[in-house]
Amino acid sequence: MTVRMKRSFPDAAIWLALVAGALVMLFPIYWMAVTAVRPRAEIFEALVSLLPGRVDWGNLAELWRRQPLLGWLTNSAFIAVVAVIITVFVNLLCGYTFAKFRFPGRDILFFAILGALMIPIQVILVPEFLITAWLGLLNSPWGVILPRAAEAFGIFMVRQFMVSIPDELIEAARLDGAGEFRIFLRVVLPLSRPVIAVLVIFTFMWRWNDFAWPLVILTDRDSFTLPLGLNLLRGEVNPEWGQVMMLALLSIAPMLLIFLAFQRQLIQGIASTGLK
Amino acid sequence: MGTMAARWAKRRHKLVPYVFIAPNVVLFTAFSFLPLLYAVYISFFDWSLIGDAEWLGVGNYTRLMRDPLFWRALVNTLLYALATVPTGMAIGLALALALNRKLPGRTFIRSIYFLPVVVSAVATGTIAAWLFNDNYGVINSILVRLGGSRVAWLSTPQWALPSIAIATLWVRSGFNMVVYLAALQSIPRIYYEAARIDGASATRQFLHVTLPLLGPATFLLLVLDIIHSFQVFDLIYVMTGGGPGFSTTMVVQYIYKSAFVTSEMGYASAMGVALYVLILAFTIVQWRASRQKENVL
Amino acid sequence: MTGRIDLTTDIGTLGRRTLLGAAAATALTRPTRAQAKTQLTMTVWGAQAEQDAFNAIIAKYQAAHPDVAIKLEVFGNGMQLYQQVDTRLAGRQAPDIFRVQYQQIGRYASARAVADMSKFIDKDYGSAFGPAFWNAVSYKGRPYAIPHHTDTFALYYNRDMLAKIGVEAPSSLEKSWSWEEFIRIARAMKEKGGAPYGFAMSWQNAAYRWLPFLYQHGGTLLNADLTRAVLANQAGVGTIGWTQSWFKEGLVPPSTSIKSSEQPQALFANGTIGLLLAGDWQIPFLNGNMTKWGWGVTYMPRDVAMASDLGGNCLTVSRDAKNPEIAADVVKFFCNEENMRDFVVNAQFLPVRKALMAEKLPYKLRPDAMQVFVEQSATIPDHLVSTVTMPNFSKINAVLTDQFDLAFTSGQDPAATAKAIDEQTQALLA
Repeated sequence: MTVRMKRSFPDAAIWLALVAGALVMLFPIYWMAVTAVRPRAEIFEALVSLLPGRVDWGNLAELWRRQPLLGWLTNSAFIAVVAVIITVFVNLLCGYTFAKFRFPGRDILFFAILGALMIPIQVILVPEFLITAWLGLLNSPWGVILPRAAEAFGIFMVRQFMVSIPDELIEAARLDGAGEFRIFLRVVLPLSRPVIAVLVIFTFMWRWNDFAWPLVILTDRDSFTLPLGLNLLRGEVNPEWGQVMMLALLSIAPMLLIFLAFQRQLIQGIASTGLK
Repeated sequence: MGTMAARWAKRRHKLVPYVFIAPNVVLFTAFSFLPLLYAVYISFFDWSLIGDAEWLGVGNYTRLMRDPLFWRALVNTLLYALATVPTGMAIGLALALALNRKLPGRTFIRSIYFLPVVVSAVATGTIAAWLFNDNYGVINSILVRLGGSRVAWLSTPQWALPSIAIATLWVRSGFNMVVYLAALQSIPRIYYEAARIDGASATRQFLHVTLPLLGPATFLLLVLDIIHSFQVFDLIYVMTGGGPGFSTTMVVQYIYKSAFVTSEMGYASAMGVALYVLILAFTIVQWRASRQKENVL
Repeated sequence: MTGRIDLTTDIGTLGRRTLLGAAAATALTRPTRAQAKTQLTMTVWGAQAEQDAFNAIIAKYQAAHPDVAIKLEVFGNGMQLYQQVDTRLAGRQAPDIFRVQYQQIGRYASARAVADMSKFIDKDYGSAFGPAFWNAVSYKGRPYAIPHHTDTFALYYNRDMLAKIGVEAPSSLEKSWSWEEFIRIARAMKEKGGAPYGFAMSWQNAAYRWLPFLYQHGGTLLNADLTRAVLANQAGVGTIGWTQSWFKEGLVPPSTSIKSSEQPQALFANGTIGLLLAGDWQIPFLNGNMTKWGWGVTYMPRDVAMASDLGGNCLTVSRDAKNPEIAADVVKFFCNEENMRDFVVNAQFLPVRKALMAEKLPYKLRPDAMQVFVEQSATIPDHLVSTVTMPNFSKINAVLTDQFDLAFTSGQDPAATAKAIDEQTQALLA
C-alpha cells in the first residue's frame, strides 16, 4: 500500500504539471481561434477578455469572399503531395545507397549533402532564384517543388535507418538474381515502413509550411500557397486580424489532423530511424 | 563474349550507386551547391541586385571584419542560441521522461506538446506578435487582470529577445520531446532491470543508464537546434523586425536587410558565406567531439 | 574601374536553350494561351480600397482595349513589393508595371531598372503635374515614372477626449498648435483625457517621416545642394532630443518606435492614445474601427516653420516589359485626369495633377478631414522632396531607421545620434 502511494503521488503531480503545461502550449492556438471569431469591435480592446463577446463567423465569410481561399488550399495541397512523392522516393533511394553501398566518393558526397542542410536560405535565395527563373519555373508549382525536392535531413534519416537492415537479406536477393532496383523496391522498401512514415509526414509538413522560397517564386495571387496568403493578409497596411487568424487556423488545421492521425507512427518511426 | 558480358555486368554493378544517388546529386547541385558558389562569386562584387555589378575583390570581407553591426549580430545569434538550445533540450527531455510513464491520456498530451511543431513560422510569428503586443496583447491583459502592470515585451531591448526565445521554445520543445521519447523507447528494458538488481537508485539509473544512451539523440538535437537558431528569420522578421535598436538583429536579419533594404547584395552574400562557414565549422567540431564519445555515424 | 558587369546575364551566355529542354516541366504547367492578347502584369500593394480602385481602372482600360489583358498582382505593403520586384529584376522577370514610392524611384532610375518615360510622352506632358511630383520622378532631367497620387500627414484627434480636456482643435493652418502647445495637450490627454498615452507617430518602417519635424525646427538633413550631411547642429540635435523626449516622458507608447510593427492607428481606435500623427489613407480604417469615440483631423504641429511629409506613389514601367509602349499607355491611362480623380476619391488620397489639386474633390469618406490634408500638403518643403527622392535615399533611410530606433528605445544620446547619422550619410553621398 505504502509502495503504491509512493509511486502514485509523484505520478499525479507530474500529470498535473503536464496538463498545466499542455494548456499553456495550447493557448496560442486557442487564441488564434478566439481571435478568428471575435467581433471586429473587440479586436483592439486594451483589456481583451479571454472569451469573445459573441461568436462572429463574419471573418470566415469575408475571407472567403475576398480571397481565393480554395485556390490557395489546392495549391498548398498539390505542392505538398507532389513534393512528398518525389522527395520521399529520391531520398529513400539516396539514403539506401549511402547506407548499403561502398563506392569511391561516398563519404565526401554524404558530407556535402549534410553540408547543404546548413545553408541558410537567405544566403542562396537570389542565386537560386536566378537559376529557377532561367529554367522558366517562375509562378509554377514546379518552381517550388523541384528546388526543394532533395532534403538533406531526409537523406540523413533514411541512411541512419537503413544501416540497420541486415545485409544478408540484400545479399540473398542478389544471389537470387534480382536487379538492384528490384531489390530496393521489393526487399528494402517493405522493411522501411517506419522511416517512410516519418519522411512522408515531415516532408508534407515542410512543404506545407514553406515560406521564404515560395514567396519569391509565386507572385500571382491565384498561385499562392496558404502561408503566402497569410503573409499577404498580415502585411496589409491595416490587417484584418480576425481574418488573419482565421486563415492561420485554416492553414494549420490539415497539419493538425495529419499529426493527430499518425502521431504513433511518427514517434515509432523516429525511434526506429537510428536517432536513438 | 561471355567474359565481356560479365565485365559489363560488373561495371554496371559499380555504376548502380551513382545512378541511385544521381537525382539527388543533380537537384543539390542545381539548387544548393551552384547557388552557393554563385553566392561566393557575388560576394566579391558591389551589386545592388537591380543594377550593374562592380568588382570589389575581398572588399566585402574586409568590411565585414570591421563592421561592428556584423559582430553585434553574431553575438545576438549566439545569445539566442544559448537562450533557446539548452533550455529547449532540457524541456524536451523532461517532457519525454514524464510522458514515457504510463499516465492517463498520455498520447493526447504528447500530441498537444508536439502540435506547435506543425505550425508554420509565419503563423507562429503572427500569433506570437499578437500575444505579446504591449497594448492589446492578451499576455499583458492577463498580467493587468492579475494585478500586475504591462510589460513592453517587444519594444524594450531587455524583453524583446526573451519574448522571441519563448516563442521559439513553444515550437522547438515538442520536436525535442519526440526525438527524446523515441530514444527512450529504444533503450532495452533489460538495462534497467540489471541496474535494479544491482540496487541502483532511480537517480543513479537515470545518470548511468538513461543519460548515456540518450547521447546520440542529444547530439542530433544539438546539431539541429543550433543550425535552426543560426538560421532563424521569419519569427523575428514578424515579431520585432530586428529591433528595438539592434537587440534582436541576428546575422540572417542583417543579411536580409543588406540584400533587400539597402540593396547591397555583394555584402549580404559575403555575410552569408561567413555564416555558412561558421555553421559548418561548428557542426564539424561537435561531430568530432561526439564521434570520439558516442561513435555516431 | 573596368569591372562593371552584369551578373545575371552571365548565366544566359551558358546556353540557356539547351538546358531548357530538360525543364520541359514548364510546358506542362503553363498552357500556352492564344497569343492574340497582349498580357501585362501590374504589381502594386495596398489596402482593399486601393485594390478595388486599381481593378476598376484596369477593367475600364480592358474594355477600351480588348486586345490587352492586365493582371494585377497585390502585395500587402511596399517592403514586400520591393523585395519581390528587385529579385525579379535580377532574373529579368520583373512585372511590366509596378507601383513605387517617390522615395524609391530614384534607386530604380539610377540603376536603369525602369524605362525612360520621355519616349512615350509629349514634351509638355509633365507641366500638368505639380512640379514637386514631376521633379520627384525625374532623374538627370528625364522622367522614369508618372506621378499617380500623393498623401501627407496631419494630426488625428479623439474628439471626446479633446472636449474632456477643454481644448479646441485649430481651425486653420495658421492657427496650428506649436510644439509646446502640442506637448501640453498630449500631457493633458494622458493626465485628464483618459488615454494611457498622449499620442503616437506613424513612422514604423518609414524613418523618413521624422524629417518634417526637423524642417519645422528649422533644420535640414542635407545642405542646399545635397552634397553634405548637416544634422549635427542645434536644429538637428534639438529635433532628435524633442522626438526622443516623447519616449522618455512616456507621452507615446514604447511600442511606437521606428522598427516596431505596431499599428498606431489601432491604438488610436482603441483609446490607448488621444492624438495620432498619420496619413490620410487611415481614414477608411478609423471610419470602420473607431466605434466608441468621435474623431477629427487637424494640422501638424509647427515650430519655427510648418512642414509635412511627402507621401504617395508613382507608376513605372520596368526594363523587362515586353511591350513598353503598351505598358506606358496603361500608366498614362491611370494617371490621366479622370482616372486619377476616381482613384484618389475612392481610395482617400491626394491628386498630383495641377487641375485636380485646385479642385474640391468629392471624397467618399470624411471630406471635412480630407480638406485638412489637402491644405497640409501645401506645406511639404521643396528641399525635403529633393532629399527623399535622391537615388541613394533608401540607404540613408536605413541609417535613419537604425539610429532613431537606438535613440528612442535604447536611450542613445541625441548629439551622438546626429553625429552617427552625419558620418554614415556622408559615406553614402561620397
